[in-house]
Amino acid sequence: MSEEVKQTTYWKSLKQLADNKEYQKFAEREFPENATELTDGVSRRGFLRVMGASVALAGLAACRRPVQKILPYSRQPEEVVPGVPLYYATAMPVQGNLVGLIAENHEGRPTKLEGNDLHPASKGGTSIFNQAAILGLYDPDRSKSPLYNGNRSTKNDFVEFAASHFANTSQRVAFISEANSSPTYNSLKQQALSKFNNATWVTHEPFGEDNVVEGNQIAFGQRLRTHYNFENADVIVSLNDDFMASTHPNSVEYAKQVSGRRKVTDTDGEMNRVYAVEDTFSLTGSFADHRLRLKASEVEAFTYALAAALSSRINGLGAFSGYSNQFSDHKWITALADDLAAHAGSSALTAGSQHNPEVHAAVAAINQALGNAGNTVNYLEVPHFEDQNNNQAFADVVADMKAGNIDTVVMVGVNPVQTAPADLDFENALTNVETVVNLSDYVDETSKKTTWHVNRAHFLEAWGDGFSYGGARSVIQPQIQPLHDGLSEIEFLNTIVSGEMTSGYDMVQNTFRGYYSSGFQNRWTNILHDGIDTTDNFNTVNVGLRSGFASAMNRATSNVSATSGIEVVIRPDATLYDGRYANLGWLQELPDPMTKITWDNVALMSPATAEKLGVSEFKSSNNTTELVEINVNGKSITIAAWIQPGHADDSITLTTGYGREGIGRVATSYIDYTAGGVDVYPLRSTDNMFYASGEVTKADGRYEIACVQDHHSLEGRDMYRQASLSEYKENPDFASFESVHTYPVPGMAEMRENGDEDGPISLFDEQTYPDHEPQWGMAIDLNSCFGCGVCVIACQSENNIPVIGKKEVKIGREMHWIRNDRYYVGDDPDSPQAVHQPVPCMHCELAPCEQVCPVAATTHSDDGMNQMTYNRCIGTRYCANNCPYKVRRFNFFNYPKEYLTTGDDPDIIQMAMNPEVTVRFRGVMEKCTYCVQRVNRAKIEAKKETGSPKPADGTVKTACQQACPADAIYFGDLTDENSQVTKMKRNKRNYQMLEELNTRPRTSYMAKLTNPNPALA
Amino acid sequence: MSKYQYVPEPALVKGDHDFSSLTRLVTDINLRPTPKAWYVAMLGANALLMVLLVSIGYLIWEGTGIWGLTNPVGWGWAIINFVWWVGIGHAGTLISAILFLFRQDWRTAINRFAEAMTIFAVMCAGIFPAIHVGRIWAIYWVFPIPNSMAMWPNFNSPLLWDVFAVGTYFTVSLLFWYVGLVPDLATIRDRATDKIRKVTYGIFSLGWTGSNRHWWNYEKAYMILAGLATPLVLSVHTIVSFDFAVSMIPGWHTTIFPPYFVAGAVFSGFAMVLTLMIITRKIYGMKEIMTDDHMEKMNIIILVTGSMVGFAYIMEFFIAWYSGVEYEQAIFILRATGPYAWAYWTMMICNVFSPQFFWSKKLRRSVGFTFFISIVVNIGMWFERFVITVTSLSTDYLPSSWDYFSPTIWDVLTYVGTFGLFFTMFLLFLRFLPMIALAEVKAVIPQADPHNYDEETNEYIAPKVEVPEPQSEKV
Repeated sequence: MSEEVKQTTYWKSLKQLADNKEYQKFAEREFPENATELTDGVSRRGFLRVMGASVALAGLAACRRPVQKILPYSRQPEEVVPGVPLYYATAMPVQGNLVGLIAENHEGRPTKLEGNDLHPASKGGTSIFNQAAILGLYDPDRSKSPLYNGNRSTKNDFVEFAASHFANTSQRVAFISEANSSPTYNSLKQQALSKFNNATWVTHEPFGEDNVVEGNQIAFGQRLRTHYNFENADVIVSLNDDFMASTHPNSVEYAKQVSGRRKVTDTDGEMNRVYAVEDTFSLTGSFADHRLRLKASEVEAFTYALAAALSSRINGLGAFSGYSNQFSDHKWITALADDLAAHAGSSALTAGSQHNPEVHAAVAAINQALGNAGNTVNYLEVPHFEDQNNNQAFADVVADMKAGNIDTVVMVGVNPVQTAPADLDFENALTNVETVVNLSDYVDETSKKTTWHVNRAHFLEAWGDGFSYGGARSVIQPQIQPLHDGLSEIEFLNTIVSGEMTSGYDMVQNTFRGYYSSGFQNRWTNILHDGIDTTDNFNTVNVGLRSGFASAMNRATSNVSATSGIEVVIRPDATLYDGRYANLGWLQELPDPMTKITWDNVALMSPATAEKLGVSEFKSSNNTTELVEINVNGKSITIAAWIQPGHADDSITLTTGYGREGIGRVATSYIDYTAGGVDVYPLRSTDNMFYASGEVTKADGRYEIACVQDHHSLEGRDMYRQASLSEYKENPDFASFESVHTYPVPGMAEMRENGDEDGPISLFDEQTYPDHEPQWGMAIDLNSCFGCGVCVIACQSENNIPVIGKKEVKIGREMHWIRNDRYYVGDDPDSPQAVHQPVPCMHCELAPCEQVCPVAATTHSDDGMNQMTYNRCIGTRYCANNCPYKVRRFNFFNYPKEYLTTGDDPDIIQMAMNPEVTVRFRGVMEKCTYCVQRVNRAKIEAKKETGSPKPADGTVKTACQQACPADAIYFGDLTDENSQVTKMKRNKRNYQMLEELNTRPRTSYMAKLTNPNPALA
Repeated sequence: MSKYQYVPEPALVKGDHDFSSLTRLVTDINLRPTPKAWYVAMLGANALLMVLLVSIGYLIWEGTGIWGLTNPVGWGWAIINFVWWVGIGHAGTLISAILFLFRQDWRTAINRFAEAMTIFAVMCAGIFPAIHVGRIWAIYWVFPIPNSMAMWPNFNSPLLWDVFAVGTYFTVSLLFWYVGLVPDLATIRDRATDKIRKVTYGIFSLGWTGSNRHWWNYEKAYMILAGLATPLVLSVHTIVSFDFAVSMIPGWHTTIFPPYFVAGAVFSGFAMVLTLMIITRKIYGMKEIMTDDHMEKMNIIILVTGSMVGFAYIMEFFIAWYSGVEYEQAIFILRATGPYAWAYWTMMICNVFSPQFFWSKKLRRSVGFTFFISIVVNIGMWFERFVITVTSLSTDYLPSSWDYFSPTIWDVLTYVGTFGLFFTMFLLFLRFLPMIALAEVKAVIPQADPHNYDEETNEYIAPKVEVPEPQSEKV
């Protein structure tokens, strides 16, 4: 009987059912296929079918008594108090660079990740990927066992295989690894390279930093990492470098530094100035004071023109003197050159890693000439860098594979079948290799082509170590036993090198033993406790331009050419990165920070380009866009078109990570356009990794897009207020209602006469708040927020907010308690300013929602919070209707059930839930609670310690506040005159949204300031 | 001699009818065997009723998510349908109570009919607030029932007022209707030949014998109920309008809503009565009781209330501009020009433009045209509620939250299904109850007011009316 034979649907006995192949397949799969999109018709049917099978399974199981044993919790493990979480320091590798984290651990399971204040790459902040990692740990679609030729195998079998297979040290082995800064890993790498005589090692990162390193090689003759210190920078110029977005490996540190220089508390305050030159509208671009749209391929010429302009102002850029091109007369060049020259030593120029090495060399030279090196820019010697261009090396390895010159390929954490440049045809090359071994989180596109696939342990499951982007060394502490008995990278590599399993703990300890001559145990304990080893760092190199630099630049400047016609840019996706996070529902459902699209990637283009292509605007009445066909180098894809104001003309931006097949129920794309987006990797080639010229034509048909924000203009309304720094100094009150509208809040004058400053007269009785209670309030500094969306994910993680799927989002039922509104501002529709405004519940003192609820399910607490009593709610949705801020979220279906119990192993994803927050049932309203569980814990603690339920300032942080890398959110007790939030609210920039409605929101905003260059105004 | 001349009102009942012919005309319908066509109609109505039950069943099973509701638009078709049906339910009580107090005798031909419509419409309406909540099994929490949590509903909430307003209205309407039915039920009881009818009608006619004492009690009760029902006619839609007016959403938060809603309700109610009346009187041959004069009078009311509604629309615009509130202005401009402009202009054409044809007496008396306009008006009034409910929510304060609302098939089916309930009830009414208030109609024909005196000399003359022969028992 072949596999193709259809099994009968009828069965006579339970045994026959159990023998049914389809059923076996079902029982084996952790989660049934199609069980994701529960609310659409097709898969609902699938769900019912699956449910039917589960019932049958229950029948089978019921044949005998259950044998699970429960044990009493009578002997309490040390330090574990049920209900009281423990916190441990750990670190998350992102593209090989560690970000220090603190894991909240409830009875042995991590439930939430926070930034580590002591760690320089975090300083308490996190990126969306850090926050979503907890869901990655409990992802039920993770690979659960090693696979041998696609069949389930065991760890022991793999170790046996490794011992015998890798005993032959003369075989030709190619190691393809993701970037990894771990010293243990890198010493194993050296061992591997010395053990196998014919081994090659390549680091494959689809969006690696090779070009930057190469650029520094051209400039300084050394392969160095550029590490900025924006704290010292008064002027920052980003040449297509989105260094604040989570996609940048060091985004948290950079965002904190850049926004930290914009905390203007009074009219004496000063701010840095940020310029962005870019093709796609990026987060950094939206944060910048000035933004210039250029095609990616024009950035190189722009850089040289800037260098040439600077060469007449400062010394050290002789290589560029006399050079000119089409940008030389651009007003930006003059303005930038003047501003940079005026801030020599306190400016920073950065370029995106997609640009070729020569651009980075020129940028390095400019920074060097400005005297920024050592002040705002440091060049770091990174011990684990290979002495090769990895893109080239990777291409060479693939060529070797094709030629049959490789016997064994070992892949660690990479997925080249998906991510390798399409012209290499990696999938085909693999077929010429006898033995392929890989370690990965999912049974991904690559794992399916391997001889041995080994399931990887999550970083929260296994010991590890590594360096941050800036060189701080940390140990990765596991928080839980591997759920699926996976191997960490070091255990995996060690098995291959030594042929036996060694525990990761021993290996990491060994590595750290090597660092210290004495006192290891104390130091080790300290490192584990603090999450960082402060004794060592990467070496900062004192650099100087090498002698061949000028001639290299001459070659480069004479070869500059921009792509003609339409340029197709491929970028890492803002929420899925290169696809490695594609199966995380939180990130799929996190709206793209600029387009606000969920669950899909689109082809971004400027309004002018769209007009040229005949592509029309997104139609919000049926949520569809038009499609475009994109041809690059003979490869073509069809993808939804999206008009992005502010995008460079004649340029299309595509993002990676979507259109995956068969790796998990979240990531998998469906051909019938229900979810998933399009894989854009086929458009990539070795010559044009990041942008290439292509042909774009409008295609037939329309595509459904789930965009959470249909309307992008403020319509002249005053929700978002901003002024330039000089305007603020002239008129500090610019953000007040009176300044904006030229008349005071209606009804306010009368109340002032009565001596009441709180607000206009109210029809309803004002609540009285007891003196002994704290009064909670929040201030959101729009001058710091740059729209990354980490607050949304942090809130989702803290408050058990379900993922609802594309179809539900498309209807407009997103559940996020805090959302990030993005408006386009400005007169020029082609190049507007984009502003971001996080909107949580305002916790109005005179809450309109409370007045209309027929059953009093939403009421006010004594500490001034607008509370939602889920058990009392009957779901009239009147409160949500009457909320002028539209922050209330309704459970139209039993979302948590669909999210948490789908499939036959519901326990895993349930472990990600915060036990302190109720999971909401169908038919009830929910909304931001100011993290009431945290507030009450702090109040109880404070009451135990001091007798007063007023916690000291800073002891209670909301999830959004804690996660924010820009420290844009302040939360605290308004009765405390010295609390941060009180001080912020006293700031003149503070304003209430929709103040004239007299809702008296406890959440207020601080108006944005810009610092424009008068020369560009 | 004055140049003005007294023009007597046209006779309310046309044709050569006396008491007994009226009795036969009306009650024969209830007494003769059920016609086949009734079964066919009932089958159709029941099919639609099944659609309603299935829709509600699926709703309870799955959740309100089966409807097209979204984040900004928390109320959709359910609330629209609720307001629409309640509005329709206005005509009955207005006709029976207010017109009764104003001594408008022409109401007698249609009041029973209209009241029945009212009750069934309110039943249809009442379904929606109950099923539109997220947790239907907890809906009773809106009632002030003493409970162990000492938890009362929130008396500030207009939704709670709704519960009381609609509940009271339904109760009083039902009582009023039933009290009016008692003498007629007794008539059927007396004429019925079979046991079941005799007993059933007998029970419900409460031992009515037509004695002077009974009539005295009856008329007092009727008067009191009319007095009670009159303010309710105004209050119920006023309170329904508070659901919107008390909130702070632009386009909802307006003081004009109560009168405007009441006018709209009367407008749609009369249109619905006309729709039903024109069909029924043709099928049952009631043209002599429900005459073209009635139709014309009702058309005048439609013209008046339609113009009031039109005035309210214009006034809303004016006030939005005059108030200077930017959100208020924006929502009205958006209604007329935004994504829902199609609905807005449908509403304007149906509600404001179409009744203006009734300035023409010829059109007022044209049966076909009246029927057409009566349907147009009800479409228009549905759209009015749609425009109010959906546009205000979909484009309120923060532009970031604006979202377009699209209904799903379940929205449509639930709405269509309520017609099943309505027509099922209505067909049962037509079959088993006298559709004309017989006792009242008899009171307005000339025979009820014998002038037993000479007009010239003012002297007594013995009545010339022939007493009809006792009727044979055979029907």
